[in-house]
Amino acid sequence: MPKADNLQGSLELLVMKILRRGPNHGFAISSYIQESSDEVLRVEAGSLYPALHRMTEAGLLKAGWRMSEAGRRARFYELTVKGRRQLEAEQKKWRAISAAVAKILRTA
Amino acid sequence: MGMWSRIRKTFRGDRHNTEIQEELEFHLQMDAARGHDHRQTRVRLGNVTRIAEDTRAMGIVEWLDSALQDARYGLRQLRKTPALVLAVVLSLTVGVGANTAIFSLVDAAILRPLPVKDPDSLRIVEWTNEGFPAEVDNINGDVKHGSGKQIQASSVAAWLYRRLAREQTTFEALVGIADPDNVALAAGTAPPEHVSLQYVSGNFFQGLGALPVIGRPFRDEEDRVGRETIVIVSHRLWMRRLGGGTDVLDRTIRINNVPARIAGVAPPGFFGLKAGQWTDVYAPLAARVAFQPRGGDLRGEDDSDWWVRQVGRMKPGAPELTAGVQIAGLFRTLAVREGTKTDPKEIPELITLPGRRGFGALNTRDANALWILMLLVGVLLLMVSANVTNLLLARSVGRQRESAVRLALGAARTRLFRQHLIESGVLALLGGAAGLALGYVLAQSIHLLFQTGRDASSAFDLHLDLRVLGYTGALSTLTALLFGLAPAVRAARADLGDALKAQTRSVMGGRLRLPRFLVSMQIALCLTALVAAGLLGRSLENLKWVDVGFDRENLAYASVSPGRAGYTAERTGPYLDRVREELARLPGVIRVSTVQTRLLSGGGNNGRVNFPGRPWSDASRSNLNRVGEGFFETLRIPLVAGRTIERRDLRPDAGTVVVDEVFARRYFPNENPLGRRFGLDPKNNNRYEIVGVVGNSMYNSLRSDAYPTVYEPYSPGATVHFVIRTTVDSTRLAEGVRRAVASVDPSVPLTEFRTQTALIDRTLRTERLLGFVSGAFGLVALILAAIGLGGLLAYAVARRTNEIGVRMALGAAAGDVIRMVLRDSLWMAGAGILIGLPCAYAIAGVLKTSLFRLEPLDPLTAALSFFALLAVAVLAAWIPARRAARIDPMSALREE
Repeated sequence: MPKADNLQGSLELLVMKILRRGPNHGFAISSYIQESSDEVLRVEAGSLYPALHRMTEAGLLKAGWRMSEAGRRARFYELTVKGRRQLEAEQKKWRAISAAVAKILRTA
Repeated sequence: MGMWSRIRKTFRGDRHNTEIQEELEFHLQMDAARGHDHRQTRVRLGNVTRIAEDTRAMGIVEWLDSALQDARYGLRQLRKTPALVLAVVLSLTVGVGANTAIFSLVDAAILRPLPVKDPDSLRIVEWTNEGFPAEVDNINGDVKHGSGKQIQASSVAAWLYRRLAREQTTFEALVGIADPDNVALAAGTAPPEHVSLQYVSGNFFQGLGALPVIGRPFRDEEDRVGRETIVIVSHRLWMRRLGGGTDVLDRTIRINNVPARIAGVAPPGFFGLKAGQWTDVYAPLAARVAFQPRGGDLRGEDDSDWWVRQVGRMKPGAPELTAGVQIAGLFRTLAVREGTKTDPKEIPELITLPGRRGFGALNTRDANALWILMLLVGVLLLMVSANVTNLLLARSVGRQRESAVRLALGAARTRLFRQHLIESGVLALLGGAAGLALGYVLAQSIHLLFQTGRDASSAFDLHLDLRVLGYTGALSTLTALLFGLAPAVRAARADLGDALKAQTRSVMGGRLRLPRFLVSMQIALCLTALVAAGLLGRSLENLKWVDVGFDRENLAYASVSPGRAGYTAERTGPYLDRVREELARLPGVIRVSTVQTRLLSGGGNNGRVNFPGRPWSDASRSNLNRVGEGFFETLRIPLVAGRTIERRDLRPDAGTVVVDEVFARRYFPNENPLGRRFGLDPKNNNRYEIVGVVGNSMYNSLRSDAYPTVYEPYSPGATVHFVIRTTVDSTRLAEGVRRAVASVDPSVPLTEFRTQTALIDRTLRTERLLGFVSGAFGLVALILAAIGLGGLLAYAVARRTNEIGVRMALGAAAGDVIRMVLRDSLWMAGAGILIGLPCAYAIAGVLKTSLFRLEPLDPLTAALSFFALLAVAVLAAWIPARRAARIDPMSALREE
């Protein structure tokens, strides 16, 4: 049973969003999050890999070994159909919540 | 511990794990390539490993791990409340123990399959017929009377069995076995000992797949009259009597003074085909002629004597119905071919019955008794569960804050729920283990009670096996669920806000509704148990004090079997006279006589009486007995008219008989029976002349109504019973009697010595068992109810301390407070009794057939049970009420 944790929830959202663009390995995902958030968000390996495994177990991702761009064998993760649907839903939810929070921050 | 070793250890061996390792390695190297501090990354990865392990092992491992955590936590919590744990575990021990005990008896006696190869494929072959087949003189084994003249019987003649076994193709094997016989066994120079022997067919051990551990099974050709007698001994006898060595093979022992060679030792745990009956020696069917000569001379097998039971083993995959039809058809063909029968109506119809459990170990009454006990212990376990639930509920109130804090810190409700269930599980495990031990001891004691007056060869195999363990385990788990559910649900439903407000009051549902209901349920169950115990106890008393018609105290029977030592009919008479003289000479002995059927020993003879001028019909039957001179004086059965049996009557052709008053009144109403004649077979109605009338006495059962009895003059049979009237407690006579018998002829041992009261007790053993055990359970139920009620009242008083303080401050007297608690108690008890009435009524209905001269709605039992519960309600309220009355208003209010 996955733990309902807000931080992890958003991590999963980010992972799914990144993998939407195509299959990739764990290190690339963590680098991408770090770089595209201008070093604001930093994903520890200690959170990322368990999340990846958890999502694979849950059927959101599919994993397999491929050659990385550096010419080494790496474990690539790919979004499944179920993952895509989950991403849509999570994205919608996230937008609604952040809009609501933003509204409160504006008005209060 | 280094990180890598930890990784290796965690991921040892699993392909999946090496993948994870490789994945992490990749991450490390990529990171290092970016110029990050390698060591720091590795340290962080240490965490990864642990969490990855969590993720990877989702499901069973994680669940088990956290469950173990919960169990440890639960144990710590339990250690904080040792008194409560003790109370819970003790209650469970009693509940589970009682159930385990009765179950192991039921299992051993009724449920467990035979210890042979593939018992499921065994079929017992019996037959049905309209009345006795004409050519049959005697049927051993079971004969059941159905509707009309229909009978169902278990045995056939030995020749019939052998023909069937040889010619049948239906079964893989058809084995034959006789009912056990008591024989005298002499090994070496030791004095002869009585053991249980069964005659079996040559294919018996192979057919059952129970091959001897040493030696060999019988061979078909060994089952022939006149051959050297070969025997196979039981594992028990081998260990106990024959030294347990391999030198036992080919040793010669003497059975009823006939030499027999030992060919093998049966496997350990193999007792024959009837649970509760241990056979010591097996001999071929044909050996019966040598071992049991009738009248002292060797003769062939008697074809009109039907004594061989049959058990077949189905061929794998053979259809059930066809087997029955085939064997029945073969039997019919055989009968026709032998020329004895042509009318199909006169040929018995063979039927097949399931043989998985062997021959029925218990009669219906005994089996019923065990099921009744099973029901009672079930009731007891429910009471225990209710009690434990209440204890745990009370405790969960104290733990409400703990639950709330854990919830506030983010624990899942499911986890709390599970936590509580696991704690219950730990308690159930402790209680179950202790219950198993208690159950084992209880089972042995109940078994002893059950076996009262039976010899060593009849005992059930009560070792703790997987079946009993499994049952106890399942029962404990079920109980844990039963009593653990309510507290667990409560813990998981804990209202955060409420609980943290430090007010424990609202937590258990202000009015203690569930606990009250549970206590009332306990009272209801207790009423059920009490009514059952009361009815069974009263029924037993009724049986015990029934008038038997003779003086049962200081009366004993000594039995010998001179025929087994080779005495012929001519030599038996003088031998018996000498024994009788020796017995009469013993100090404390007043009178000695002989009797064919010991009174109230459970057996007996019964036959039709043929009166001149009246039809030969089933309507005129009588019990039959043969008695020696002085019999009525010895038993103190009063002589009503005429004379008793005297020495001059004791001749083979004697026609003088004594009848009892029931006989005289039923068959010669308003006439003088003296001098009247009758017969006991259809051809002769003039054989006997009534010379005396004696008082009525109970013949073979305390339960039977007055029944006619005919006393013929004594003539010795295979077993001779001396009846001895003493001035002293007759149990102390045993040794003297043994010596007196041995002094006449050491080769004829005393086979049995029983006091009349022991014989009566033996016929009552089922009732005693039921009465005693149900009484004990009733008492335990009462104690449980008292504890349950008292505990809840004490708890309620503690919770209402403030309220009571206020009441007293406002002028309530101590008496008012006591009345308040008492009212509470009586209300719960009253509700319980109301709920319990239909249950008690139901159980009384179940018991109906087991009761003797007692209505199921016995008012005395009902009243006693009611008052017992009332007394419990008052007593249980006493301590809490006293405590409530002593509450100091000031300090109670200050606490608020």
